Amino acid sequence: MMSHAKKAAIFNKDEARTDWHDASLWMVRQKRDFAVSEIPEWEFLREYASDIKTHTLSSLDTYLEAFEKAAIQNGATVHWASDATEHNEIVLSILKKHQAKKMVKSKSMLTEECQLNDFLAANDIEVIDSDLGERIIQLLDEPPSHIVLPAIHLKKEEIGELFHRELQTEKGATDPQYLTEAARHHLREKFHTAQVALTGVNFGIAETGEVVVCTNEGNADMGVHLTPVHIHSMGIEKLIPRRSDLAVFTRLLARSATGQPVTVFTSHHRTPKNEGEMHIILVDNGRTNQLGKPDFRGSLKCIRCGACMNTCPIYRRSGGHSYDATIPGPIGSILTPGIDLKKYGNLPFASTLCGSCTDVCPVKIDIHTQLYKWRQIVSEAGLPEGGNKTLMGILGNGMAKPGFFHRLGNTGRKLLRLFPGSEKLLSFTIWTKDRNLPKAPKESFRDWYAKQEKNEQ
Amino acid sequence: MNSKEKILLKIRENRPNPWPLPDIPVFESATPDKRQLFIKILERGGSKVCTVKDISEVNQVVSTCFPNGKRTVTTLPFLEGMEHTTSIQPDFYEGTELAIIGAVLGVAENGALWLTENELNQVRVLPFITQHLVLVISEKLIVGTMHEAYKWLGTPTAGFGVFIAGPSKTADIEQSLVIGAQGARSLLVIITP
Repeated sequence: MMSHAKKAAIFNKDEARTDWHDASLWMVRQKRDFAVSEIPEWEFLREYASDIKTHTLSSLDTYLEAFEKAAIQNGATVHWASDATEHNEIVLSILKKHQAKKMVKSKSMLTEECQLNDFLAANDIEVIDSDLGERIIQLLDEPPSHIVLPAIHLKKEEIGELFHRELQTEKGATDPQYLTEAARHHLREKFHTAQVALTGVNFGIAETGEVVVCTNEGNADMGVHLTPVHIHSMGIEKLIPRRSDLAVFTRLLARSATGQPVTVFTSHHRTPKNEGEMHIILVDNGRTNQLGKPDFRGSLKCIRCGACMNTCPIYRRSGGHSYDATIPGPIGSILTPGIDLKKYGNLPFASTLCGSCTDVCPVKIDIHTQLYKWRQIVSEAGLPEGGNKTLMGILGNGMAKPGFFHRLGNTGRKLLRLFPGSEKLLSFTIWTKDRNLPKAPKESFRDWYAKQEKNEQ
Repeated sequence: MNSKEKILLKIRENRPNPWPLPDIPVFESATPDKRQLFIKILERGGSKVCTVKDISEVNQVVSTCFPNGKRTVTTLPFLEGMEHTTSIQPDFYEGTELAIIGAVLGVAENGALWLTENELNQVRVLPFITQHLVLVISEKLIVGTMHEAYKWLGTPTAGFGVFIAGPSKTADIEQSLVIGAQGARSLLVIITP
């Protein structure tokens, strides 16, 4: 398995594309800043959102039971899934019960996490992702590279080529308007012929048993309202206690995600439609483990806005696929090591610890602090990403002895003067891989200072 | 032990110490003219807004803006000479060019309009399946912020409710904004007294 650093190095080989990716995401970050500036109480909202989520996590069992009770009263069927396998089996059993062969799906990072599409395909079910970006990457057989903008890594020429092949658009056509129109016609037919629709959930409301789904395209609603059966897959951390709490979260979510004042559609699903069925699947899949880690449970407050990705200098210049995790970027780097430390232990190092992610997070997750804490755990576990322990040991010893350190410095400076660029010999430490040491001064500060003292005497 | 019991047990073992649930103040909009802000935000999001002096002018505005006479479906009883929602079969409404629906609440700070399945005569799909959408809202029903909106809405009685804040849109191809993704291609909001 390749680490983030190695994959990022490959991504960076195409400099023009890296710049383009960087600029695209920075534009989204700037839109966010403008949208945030319109709300004078923004910082209070972040604090409230954080407190609401922390409170909910501290009584999650009670709220889940209240939610289930309300949802059942509303006429929904509630399922509980301990892990991805159980979630996928539940979806399949609902499909089988209705002899359904075709399912439309709107954006759900949870089903990506559970790898639902592959599982259903293996069971002879056609799944159609209905969000435009999701449909694009599904047709390309790629995972999303961003949780809000799944196809942000693709150029319109590549999408034009794909649509020409899959949707018979004109060859060479790259106009986003034209391509979106083609997808609209293609997806309309799917909405009418699918028997089941599945959506993710942005918020589950404990007091009313409602699930709230936020989209811009209207694809989730097209699916849910046109098919007789709708399924909502929801991570257990998506709960909020009261309906009025939505005021806080709807004000924060879209502004943080895309810089819109609110998503175009904020749908509140409470009951099944006439003669229809509504299923809600509550999924754990490692969340209760994360809840047991005091340093990292705050990551469960995440509302999946993606602001931490758009602002991250590493994410912007390495692309979502370099993380090789369902959720990339800063938030993914603190969520995933808890699932598999060996596989994802390199991700907390994909950061400069600049703290920008923490600054923009609408629910005040201390992302950069958690990244730092994961590094400690990775190092203690002796994983290679934790750094070269032998080398660090030698360095530590050397620095603890002033005389030795002084001589080492002198020798180093001499070498650099005699053989400029010789620091590249140290490139095995990766420190000098992409940077040169400054020109070696004639004398060290220490030597200069000693001279001054002599002169004064 | 079934999965529900397993999950609940694990939460009880792992949950953090109690943390108080904050009371959230009803933040109000600072703007003196909510209607003006509502219009500004809607237009910024790609919607058209039209203000009429009397509810009887709605028909006139619609026929001026949509003169082609294609299939128009409405849920508003006072609009005569149009197709009203008779079937609740969602597929029945494919091919709807224009849907005219009454909204029950508008939010100035984000241009969102609230409506439920009651306003839709149980045809939940109507505002999404139509090619173009017209929402009619009374000026008196515009509030400042989402806090005021949820306070006004209270406990839900309808099985489905939605905030709609513009035409369906996407920017999934190179961040280029395209109006008219899977839902309505345009939104016209008519503000009545």
